[in-house]
Amino acid sequence: MKIMVAIKQVPDRDAQVRINASAKWIEESDLQYALNESDAYALEEGLQLKEKHGGEVIVVSAGPERVGSTIREALAKGADRAIHIVCDDIGERDALSVARLLAAAMKPESPDLVLTGLQSEDLGLGQTGVIVAELLGMPHASLILQVEKTETGVTVKQELEEGWFQTIELPTPAVLTIQSGGNKLRYATLMGIKRAKTKEVRQLTATELAVDAAPVVVLERITLPKKQKSTQMLSGTAAEAAAALVQKLKFEVHVL
Amino acid sequence: MIVLLPTLAEPEHFSMVEKFLLTGLVAVSAWTFWHRFGLVLDKILKSKKDAGFHLFPIGKRVRDFVWEVLCQAKVVRERPLPGLAHAFVFWGFCAFVLVTLNHFATGLGIGFLDSAGLVGRFYFYFAAAFALACAVGILGLFVRRFLVRPKWLGEKLSWESGLIALLIFVLMATYLASFFVADGGLAVWILWWVHTLALLTFLPIIPHTKHLHLVLSPATVFLSRGGFSSIPALSGDEDFGLVAGTDLTQLVSLQAYSCVECGRCTEHCPAANTGKLLNPKEIILGLRGYLNEYGPAAEEPLLGKYNAQQAAFQCTTCGACEFQCPVGIEHLPIIVGLRRGAVNTGAWEDEYGSKLFLALERGSNALGLSASERDKFIEKQGLPIFDGTQEYCLWLGCMGSYDPKGREIVVALARVMSYLGVSYGVLRKEKCTGDSARRLGNDLLFQQMAEANLEAIAKSKVRKMVSICPHCVRTIQEDWKEYGTPPEIEHHSEFLARFADRLPKQKVEEKIVFHDPCYLGRYRNVYDEPRTVAALAGELVEAPRHRERSFCCGAGGGLAFLGEETGERVSQVRTAELVATGAQTIAAACPFCNTMFRDALAARGEGAPELMDIAQLVARELPRSKDNFCSGP
Repeated sequence: MKIMVAIKQVPDRDAQVRINASAKWIEESDLQYALNESDAYALEEGLQLKEKHGGEVIVVSAGPERVGSTIREALAKGADRAIHIVCDDIGERDALSVARLLAAAMKPESPDLVLTGLQSEDLGLGQTGVIVAELLGMPHASLILQVEKTETGVTVKQELEEGWFQTIELPTPAVLTIQSGGNKLRYATLMGIKRAKTKEVRQLTATELAVDAAPVVVLERITLPKKQKSTQMLSGTAAEAAAALVQKLKFEVHVL
Repeated sequence: MIVLLPTLAEPEHFSMVEKFLLTGLVAVSAWTFWHRFGLVLDKILKSKKDAGFHLFPIGKRVRDFVWEVLCQAKVVRERPLPGLAHAFVFWGFCAFVLVTLNHFATGLGIGFLDSAGLVGRFYFYFAAAFALACAVGILGLFVRRFLVRPKWLGEKLSWESGLIALLIFVLMATYLASFFVADGGLAVWILWWVHTLALLTFLPIIPHTKHLHLVLSPATVFLSRGGFSSIPALSGDEDFGLVAGTDLTQLVSLQAYSCVECGRCTEHCPAANTGKLLNPKEIILGLRGYLNEYGPAAEEPLLGKYNAQQAAFQCTTCGACEFQCPVGIEHLPIIVGLRRGAVNTGAWEDEYGSKLFLALERGSNALGLSASERDKFIEKQGLPIFDGTQEYCLWLGCMGSYDPKGREIVVALARVMSYLGVSYGVLRKEKCTGDSARRLGNDLLFQQMAEANLEAIAKSKVRKMVSICPHCVRTIQEDWKEYGTPPEIEHHSEFLARFADRLPKQKVEEKIVFHDPCYLGRYRNVYDEPRTVAALAGELVEAPRHRERSFCCGAGGGLAFLGEETGERVSQVRTAELVATGAQTIAAACPFCNTMFRDALAARGEGAPELMDIAQLVARELPRSKDNFCSGP
């Protein structure tokens, strides 16, 4: 089974993000980066499938040079080889543009299964995996917690709302976006890191992949969430105050 | 005076047949000894070389050798009666070397000590005194092993031990009896030959029994790694710790064959004492069993043959075993080595262990909390940020940064430092020192933690550090050396003890029992300072096991982060001991001990003694006027 796992390097969850001078992206200079959490679960799922059924796990990641460390981490955890799509403008690309890069790098490999995290921790668009499926002409399922290989394809457990799950069968090749928490992640080992040194990391550029970079969604401006706390006193009888509260919750803060 | 005493009798004449027989028997005995000993020596010498081993500086080695081997100091100190009995047997043997050489020489007609001459006489009496002590000693040890039978010696009675004891007794008895028989008679002839045969039987039994320690342990003590729990650096790209036979180094193999099976390690082991699988003696004997069956060139994994992975991961790294061992076995590098082998290759799968490692991989601390929690704590308490102008850098550690009780200790220490007018600051960012990763055998993670911290500290112009956590202190000062030059650091007990005369003394009577943290006591040899500090707050009482013999709280070696223990909880056993002293207050000096005791005390319910760090005991007595305690002097 040839499994390709698309992974993303994102700012560490403890990072104190600041907006950079262009106001279109965050200041990257003093940030620590880590592997996107749901991508870590996608990788784990891929590794477990390989351990059960044999085959190969290839990780694919797009981003600047710094992404190399995350790729090494994935190789250390057990991926067999990697493709690094080197692009410095990853922050300016929309989901379609990134998906095009990933799909172009994956296509020649003809994978049996493509896995990726449900969404990224930085942008949280949740679209990239789905668009990759479309570009590769493969069926897809999202929010997947478990994957079982069958004769003709895979059976997957999909998370629905309110604790419901759905079991889906789909033929392979297919694309699955993986939800966090379905497996237990493995820790990186010294042996893994040493072995990773000899594993192949192929570097490709957008030009080499001949992908149209023009984004269809343009990022205008990013802002930090505003911290606000306001207190309003509601007067009148209990019934009047309750009615006023419902009004406010419905139309001012939109939580009802 | 000396003329009135009997002299040592010897047979007057040995026939040619006897001389041939004697030569033949000596040859057989020596050959059998060498044949068996050669197998052991071969396994030790064919083991992997110890990459970081240096014979120099040699001074400490000589000191240890004289003190521990020649003086038998450790043997006697830790078990006075059997220790003294052993010492007499040992000294008896030493005194007997010359006597024995002369004995065989006499048989060949070339004896060099004249029993009638002054030198010979003196020496034979000298040896006789030791022979008497040795005979009494070995008798005592025989009674202990076969009649008293302390459980630490193991369930199984070894007949070889009985035979050895008998042979030693016979050697001494025949020697002493020779003073009371006439020269040249039948009696002395019988005594002489019984003595000879006992010696020649004794020799070949040495190499395949625990009596091999006679030959090996002096070397083992001399060739120690030189520090407590000295974990060797991994060498090369294929070294992941103790994975297979090929990873056993010469020192490890030497130690495995040196074990005398006295069980002191087991007697003091918190895991073995609370019903867990781990028994440090069996770990060492397991390696010996592996070496005997597979040898040092085998690729067979070490764990799963003679040693269980589960046992290796039950160790709290308290170091009681290594501290106690009279033959120089260094248990911690071996147990941590086995863990390294399992973790560095990914063979160890443990839900809690993985969680800890992933928390450290992704975050900065062992508690798996967001680093911003530390920032909030520093801000809320108004702890000054270290900027290079302050005298001390106050290292918070994971517990001091994130654990509510650990934070209280930090705040208390900060109050005391301000009261004393000592300037300090905390680092803006800190990562875990990597202590748990180190002890659990995760070298990758430990290296990342150590390097990141060393780099950050190098930039911050830190000169002196102080920490509330003995684990941080040890890891920073000793373990970080593998990756750079660590800053000078001390434990807050050492800091506070220096200022003891400027700190307020408590007025009310209060009984306080101090618990020695393993990483402060056995690891750092600091016993008096925390007592000096605790004594400011009341009257000190001691738990039965204290100082070097302190019993672990159960948290060390990363175990604080692992799942539920099998058997009794170490923390509850220790807490019960501390409570039984009748003290109103338990004084701790380690945030890990503190958290373990807090839980164990909570389980005891009402009426439990109060639990406080020594810094809190001091801070309690400070005048309350300085509200803004953290603003510095």
